[in-house]
Amino acid sequence: MSVAQERATGPAALQRRGRFRPGDAILYVVACAAALTGVVLLALITREVLTEAWPAMQKFGLGFLTTQAWGDHHNTLFGAKSFIYGTVVTSFGALLIATPISLAIALFLSELAPRWIRRVVAPLIELLAAIPSVVLGLWGILVLGPFVTGTLGPGLHGTLGWLPIFSTEPTVGSNMFAAILILTVMIIPIVSSICRELFASVPQELKDGALALGATRWEVVRGVVFPYARAGIAAALILGLGRAVGEAIAVTQVIGSRVAINSSLFEQGDTLASRIAGQYQGADTALQIASLVYLAVILLVFSLIANLAAQLIVRRVAGRHQIR
Amino acid sequence: MSAQAPTADLFRSERMRRRRIVNWIVEGAATVAALLAVAVLVIVVGSVVSRGWGALNLDFFTKTPALYSGFGPRPASGIANAIIGTLIIIGIALLMALPVGILTAIYLNELAPRRLAGVLTLAFDVLNGIPAIVLGIFVFVFVVVGHGQAAWKASFALAILMVPMIARSTQEVLALVPVSMREASLALGAAKWRTTLSVVLPQAVGGIVTGATLATARAAGETAPLLFTSALYSDSISYDPRQPVASIPMFIFTSAEQADPVLHQQAWGAAAVLIGIILIASLIARWFADRSVRRLKGER
Amino acid sequence: MRAFVTRRKRPLGVLTVLAVAVSALVAISVSGAQAKSNAGELKGAGSSFVAPLVAAWQQKYQAARSVKISYNPIGSGGGISAITNKTVDFAGSDAPMTPDQFNACGGCVQLPWALSATSVMYNLNGVKNNLHLTGPVIADIYLGKVTNWNDSRIRRINPGVSLPDKEITPVYRSDSSGTSYNFTSYLNTVSKQWKSQIGSGTTVNWPKGAGARGSSGVAGLVSRTEGAIGYVDVAYALKNHLKFAAVQNRSKQWARPGLVGIKAASLADRKFSPTNALSIVNPPPGKKFRKAYPICTYTYVILRTQSNQAALLKPFINWALTAGQADGPQLIFQPIPKIVVTRGQATLKRVHS
Repeated sequence: MSVAQERATGPAALQRRGRFRPGDAILYVVACAAALTGVVLLALITREVLTEAWPAMQKFGLGFLTTQAWGDHHNTLFGAKSFIYGTVVTSFGALLIATPISLAIALFLSELAPRWIRRVVAPLIELLAAIPSVVLGLWGILVLGPFVTGTLGPGLHGTLGWLPIFSTEPTVGSNMFAAILILTVMIIPIVSSICRELFASVPQELKDGALALGATRWEVVRGVVFPYARAGIAAALILGLGRAVGEAIAVTQVIGSRVAINSSLFEQGDTLASRIAGQYQGADTALQIASLVYLAVILLVFSLIANLAAQLIVRRVAGRHQIR
Repeated sequence: MSAQAPTADLFRSERMRRRRIVNWIVEGAATVAALLAVAVLVIVVGSVVSRGWGALNLDFFTKTPALYSGFGPRPASGIANAIIGTLIIIGIALLMALPVGILTAIYLNELAPRRLAGVLTLAFDVLNGIPAIVLGIFVFVFVVVGHGQAAWKASFALAILMVPMIARSTQEVLALVPVSMREASLALGAAKWRTTLSVVLPQAVGGIVTGATLATARAAGETAPLLFTSALYSDSISYDPRQPVASIPMFIFTSAEQADPVLHQQAWGAAAVLIGIILIASLIARWFADRSVRRLKGER
Repeated sequence: MRAFVTRRKRPLGVLTVLAVAVSALVAISVSGAQAKSNAGELKGAGSSFVAPLVAAWQQKYQAARSVKISYNPIGSGGGISAITNKTVDFAGSDAPMTPDQFNACGGCVQLPWALSATSVMYNLNGVKNNLHLTGPVIADIYLGKVTNWNDSRIRRINPGVSLPDKEITPVYRSDSSGTSYNFTSYLNTVSKQWKSQIGSGTTVNWPKGAGARGSSGVAGLVSRTEGAIGYVDVAYALKNHLKFAAVQNRSKQWARPGLVGIKAASLADRKFSPTNALSIVNPPPGKKFRKAYPICTYTYVILRTQSNQAALLKPFINWALTAGQADGPQLIFQPIPKIVVTRGQATLKRVHS
């Protein structure tokens, strides 16, 4: 519906025409109120979380972000440094592994696969996205953990043990590496489905032109599809990263809940979200609760910025290329 | 005129061969990646089904968790309280989220000025990306502190998760409804609200169902908001939404970390039930989505 | 056109019926539930240490008095938090409340209602049960100074036992835990380095190892990890068929976390603090404490002095202090001494509705 048509039939217009229908006004008000809940909730969430974290923010200030402690000195000192480290390592580690795989899957589904394979594989990958995180965590504890300590870990430690990230022996199934693998499984469906739609929306003429010039399919992708979808891919990666950063349940099940900064991925650690999930029920002092909510503030700030950036990129790309 | 045969062989030159090998490698890698993703899915779902199958008996669905001290015969145990609890929580969440989501979509698609609609849609998209654990803390601070946990508070947290999905899905279908239909209704003298509710909305039912089932599938598996709002539950079946109730995700979460292998098997069984619910919901959603889009596109 | 309209109505009609049905269901359950919530039910939460005994009590008490008791083992810290926020009727904690916590709680009392031991359990294939360990060695394991099971210090105190070359993974409680408080209080008494560097508490900065939630979480992680060592209420070790160590006490005896060892340790402190706290960690050497297990603890129940459930609560706590203790021994909870029962009953009088 064009703006002109809306203006011609909106409540103001009807009033002008003298056929005021109370039903219209009621619907408008109710629907408007519903639509405003998005903004209202965002403001409310920000305000409540900040208020609850305020005692810790006042006490520790920004030094909280550089302090490695949790409950030290008889439950008086808290800091987020090791959790920020854990979040960065696990999320970026997962993104590093997931990016090439997701792009490859998106390419496969949009360019390479015949239609019947596409129709089978695409829903399967969507189903991977639908697996609840608690089920992935269960799988991580009981299946992936033993696999990492029994086969994968010793293999990596044995062959690549000179690398700092594989330098210690994987003795416990709960470690950062398991968390990275689980997060990778979570990111891949998100990034690949967004990228698939992006690749499918590349104008056929551009691809045909490249093919006509004698390019191989890979060269078409590299030279036409990727540059065209560059911004959208960035948005997809940001959204995937946001998902990894915010994941609490599956990570807390497999990461080992330790306040430490180690270079080896086979050591235990903790992330911002997973520390909140693991500690909240048992937090018994006001300062500990406020510190946990301070962690949530850090998460909230990151997620708002990342999501906003991704959404703005998507909108700019959509506007430019007339998707949707 | 006759074409002259090319003097350079276009296909067997060294450079061409290298390019074709690179292309072949990349295509192979892409196929492998897709197969890898499908393999992971098969492994995960396969683990759930193979390890959980043994737990899925009648007791599992009808009995509540039994306390086992570790000595003597094991009493029959199940997750009836968790299944009913999940149904209650999701049911109330749907009741909260559906009207808000549908009305939001109506406003954004039919009534709002374009610029405002863009800003509000952006707000919902950003809301969609907020981690569930932060939502859990928000609901905890907002309604739980000082008043206690309750199933409806868990529903409130999940409804916040569901509204953006329902709104978006409804919006997409509303946009597909032809303008001619709205115009025809208005031309016949119907009020705008009449048009929207009786002519446009019924056409979008497919999209609404799609969004609702997808949102339900997602909310059914969320554990983080439940930690703050419905974690202190009892082992017996409870229908009271003003008290915390058991739920399938919380059962899996607490059972997974314990040492008892029977609890592990029950956790796998519960995971199988959860994945089953999600699978059925996704299939319903897809069927409705295809049907409504096909119908609306066919009408044009 | 009519057929067109009829076809459209059906899905909307289905949706409406569904919505009405769901609302009706919810309305019925809410109104039905209102009647149910008036039945006798007590809600508790907290220490996972005492959870096995409370589980036995739940069954017995429901059979005897038709009162339902529900208990969520979310850890001592969680219990204190829950009773402070008034979300439960009673809380369990192995760590006695601090003055700050009493202030925050605003009108709470605590009394010891059970007595047991924190076992040091380990997962080592092919090694016998009841391995000998001393306090300093345990402290150094958790400090990260003793890293392998075949370390000379462990071998020296276990002559004749063939220990494998396996890395030791210390497992601790990641949540706020009274068992942690008990264990770290013990480590404070046997290791100066631990006392100065780490200290005791429900949450401490564990230098090495992996964390798990709840007693069952620790038992789970140890049972999954070859070479792991962890501390947990002895009932969990027995329930999950895990091996636990014989720890050397101050009388130089290798004591096991059994009823004999716990009973001997319970004599170590007969002087109640003003808030009924008792500390029986690492009893001194002497004939009385020859068989004492050094890592025992009383576990407390925390009640609000003003409670709407006082009429149900007081009989239950009284029963737990007296008749309920008989359920303890098979779960390795030693019945509490008479003076503790008397003190508890006296404190219970302060609870009113």
